[in-house]
Amino acid sequence: MDLLANLALGFETALTPANIFYCFIGVLLGTLVGVLPGIGPTGAIAILLPITFTFEPVTAIIMLAGIYYGAQYGGSTTAILINLPGESSSAVTAIDGYQMARQGRAGPALATAALGSFFAGTVATMLVAVAAPPLARLALQFGSAEYFALIVLGLVASVALAHGSIIKALAMIVLGLLLGMVGQDIYTGTPRFTFGFFELYSGINFVSVAVGVFGLAEILRNLENETTRSVLVKKVERLWLSKDDFRRIAMPVLRGTGLGSILGILPGGGHVLASFASYSIEKKSSKHPEQFGKGAIEGVAGPESANNAAAQTSFIPLLTLGIPAHPVMALIIGAFIIQGIQPGPNVITSEPALFWGVIASMWVGNILLVILNLPLIGLWVKMLTIPYRVLFPAIIAFACIGTFSINLNAFDIYAIAVLGIIGYVLVKLDCEPAPLLLGFVLGPLLEEHLRRAMIISRGDPMTFLERPISAGLLALAALAIIVSILPSIRRKRDEVFVEED
Amino acid sequence: MIKTMFAAAIAAGVSLAAVSAQAQTYPERSITIVVPFAAGGPTDTVTRLVAEPMSAALGQQVIVQNVAGAGGTLAAGQVAAAEPDGYTILMHHIGMSTAPSLYSALPYDPVEDFEHIGLVTEVPMTIIGRKDLEPTTLAELVEYVKTNGETVTYANAGIGAASHLCGLLFMSATETTPTEVPYQGTGPAMTDLIGGQVDFLCDQTTNTTGQIQGGEVKAYAVTSADRLPTLPDLETTAEGGLDMEVTVWHGLYAPAGTPDEIVQKLSEALQTALADQGVIDKFADLGTTPVAQEDATPEAHLETLTSQIELWKPIIEAAGVQPQ
Amino acid sequence: MTARYSLKNLLAGLIFVGFGLAFGYAASNYPIGTALRMGPGYFPIILAVIMVVLGAIIVVQSFREGTDEIALGAIPWRGLVLLIGALVFFGFTVRGLGLLPSLFVTVFLAGFASRSNGLVGALVLAAGLTALCMVIFVWALGLPLPLFGPWLAALGL
Repeated sequence: MDLLANLALGFETALTPANIFYCFIGVLLGTLVGVLPGIGPTGAIAILLPITFTFEPVTAIIMLAGIYYGAQYGGSTTAILINLPGESSSAVTAIDGYQMARQGRAGPALATAALGSFFAGTVATMLVAVAAPPLARLALQFGSAEYFALIVLGLVASVALAHGSIIKALAMIVLGLLLGMVGQDIYTGTPRFTFGFFELYSGINFVSVAVGVFGLAEILRNLENETTRSVLVKKVERLWLSKDDFRRIAMPVLRGTGLGSILGILPGGGHVLASFASYSIEKKSSKHPEQFGKGAIEGVAGPESANNAAAQTSFIPLLTLGIPAHPVMALIIGAFIIQGIQPGPNVITSEPALFWGVIASMWVGNILLVILNLPLIGLWVKMLTIPYRVLFPAIIAFACIGTFSINLNAFDIYAIAVLGIIGYVLVKLDCEPAPLLLGFVLGPLLEEHLRRAMIISRGDPMTFLERPISAGLLALAALAIIVSILPSIRRKRDEVFVEED
Repeated sequence: MIKTMFAAAIAAGVSLAAVSAQAQTYPERSITIVVPFAAGGPTDTVTRLVAEPMSAALGQQVIVQNVAGAGGTLAAGQVAAAEPDGYTILMHHIGMSTAPSLYSALPYDPVEDFEHIGLVTEVPMTIIGRKDLEPTTLAELVEYVKTNGETVTYANAGIGAASHLCGLLFMSATETTPTEVPYQGTGPAMTDLIGGQVDFLCDQTTNTTGQIQGGEVKAYAVTSADRLPTLPDLETTAEGGLDMEVTVWHGLYAPAGTPDEIVQKLSEALQTALADQGVIDKFADLGTTPVAQEDATPEAHLETLTSQIELWKPIIEAAGVQPQ
Repeated sequence: MTARYSLKNLLAGLIFVGFGLAFGYAASNYPIGTALRMGPGYFPIILAVIMVVLGAIIVVQSFREGTDEIALGAIPWRGLVLLIGALVFFGFTVRGLGLLPSLFVTVFLAGFASRSNGLVGALVLAAGLTALCMVIFVWALGLPLPLFGPWLAALGL
């Protein structure tokens, strides 16, 4: 229990030239695959897994982990520059980040993402080092009832994602939930909405949905006014943050880091909520909620920090208990096994150099990432000067290869086309895509946990209220609804004759 | 007439020669082994471990490709429809023999649409429970499930998963009906077991050994005929008085129509790989061993497959699992 | 005649109602089950009903809110058809033709979707981007996708 000695061991391991080198390779590759739409960390790690066979175990894990959190950095880049989120977390970044880019503030947006991520990554890694085992125990208190309650709270809060009509945002969430139902029901194996295609049994790929409703829909929007609109992006003013910007992002980064750190620990899907929840909180606590969705820097700072903090703390269940929080962690477990290390609670005692080395490498990796990413901002912003007629076919090409490489399933490509049309039409009708994406991600989780909680409680819905954590979360959700309805009722009474905006 | 027959005979001869020439020079480029599950899972791990020495034996790169989806049937269907040239082959596990009973509209036949290259390994399974579950032995567990019936919960990793099949076998052997709680994969099922949300689970040693050794779960039995070197204190199901034996066997498949010479070459490469000390050691870490050399052959593989299809059909039917 | 309703809201509402009905209809084929053992149809049907209700509310609202501030605007038919065509072509041919030829045609179609790109421009773009993708995905990342597929082999190429 000697933290300092352990950390010394960790840094001793992480700071060997070979480990620094492969940590750098990892975060570099991670940034690259994060930037490329479609291909994500899962694909990159699967491809690189065989290369790591010949490495020392700790080097292999350091590099694979670097790919993962490096991709979280890179993922926000395309979301900000071309409105193309590669992962559910960066979908939130796209809302305000892309608007900032269009206003010529791509530089500050990217810098905010990088600095927020760096801060969050550093703090969350400290949390992993200091309190990983007890936090993992705490996370195990979460059963299906608790996850169900947490997701309900997330969905309620997510209405804040919309800056237009709330009812349309709700409809988009429900549509996302329905799209999430496509595929084989995990409880009975019944294929739902698959039209007999085996390719759809695993559901619609998230990347297809994101590329379709964000990327393709945005391209179609831009092709609308090709002849009239000459420049898509206003002239870039500055690359770095102003003093005012720094002041504005300080609190969102802190809050996002805290929120993301907590949610990341939950292995049953907490990390997907991190960036959405952070956005909602920032919008709710902002004095200028009307700026959100129109390029508010807080809308980039909070979610990016939350996302990166969650990415780091999602290693906690893996390192301390050997249980994976998401597919990337499952891959890293595979890497453990191939390296001849039995993943499980024993790793921390039987392989202390590995355990602490990986944690220490996360600090190293975060520093490398910020060194790598800050100078890149200028380059990325330059990319915006590429004529759109060249840029968008490149987006299509990258999206095709990236998406196809995930499962070699041609249906994932067709899904981009179909969802692109749906997304385009709905965006044209002033419906926003972010709530749809959130619904799509949370829909299957919501159903899964609801049904499992009901099975385990033997059909007694009181289980949600009898379990204290679940009851608390549901109460919070109810409170959130009341709080958001009350002012609008009051306002309606006051402004009944005032024209609605 | 005679001329055309002659021409046809020549043409046939030429194409035969082409096929055997192709088989002679095989392999000329990299070979892809398709894994029907996500990277990092047990089947993926087994495949990657044998891919390396197979690659050395064949003198060509062997690439592992994950095509997850539809309980492994998506990948199997793709390989069945692939060119029968030996460059696209499939690693699949016990699910190959249960798919015909689980899916009514299976787009391939596990026996007819494949050439069978050989068995690879048989991974034993372990019956484990949450740490504070009352029973301490297998016999007590069976009694506990019998007494408490549906209030006992049994986790599995989804329809058709090894843990689901093991559960079905357990229920039919003990004539009990615990409540099944499906999960999406072993990871979340194990998480809930460690967290005490469900009562027990039966899964491959690849997934459970670390948790058993770490004392996070209570182990009741191993489902193989012999005890495991990695868990020497754990009794077998037979020792615990339960008549059920199940292992997750893995086999390599090529599309039907792949020339015999090529299948033979692949089979020999597999045998070489399974004799590799590195593979034996890594398999031992997983709580398993390579199959005997005579089982890594097309004949033994086909025999196992057909007998397993027959074995599972009534069990799955009796459990009332609706084919989809 | 001036429309006194919001066309955007009306269309959006109708689309949501349509989705709700379609999903609800399809879900009605699946067993609903009980609250203890919810069947595969339980959750989708609830969602479909909510979807229809929300859609209906939006339709009603469209008549109360007055006309749209910003008109619907043009639809880029050329872009729409060519981009969808490009994606479908890629999905359909990437296995058969292999990555290289399939991607080339896909990028060409996508490039041609812009009015600013002529035939030659789109061809140049296709060649350049295909080369770039080869460098990034095949050379640098080592994606295991065959460059030329069996369809070309069958032609003796």
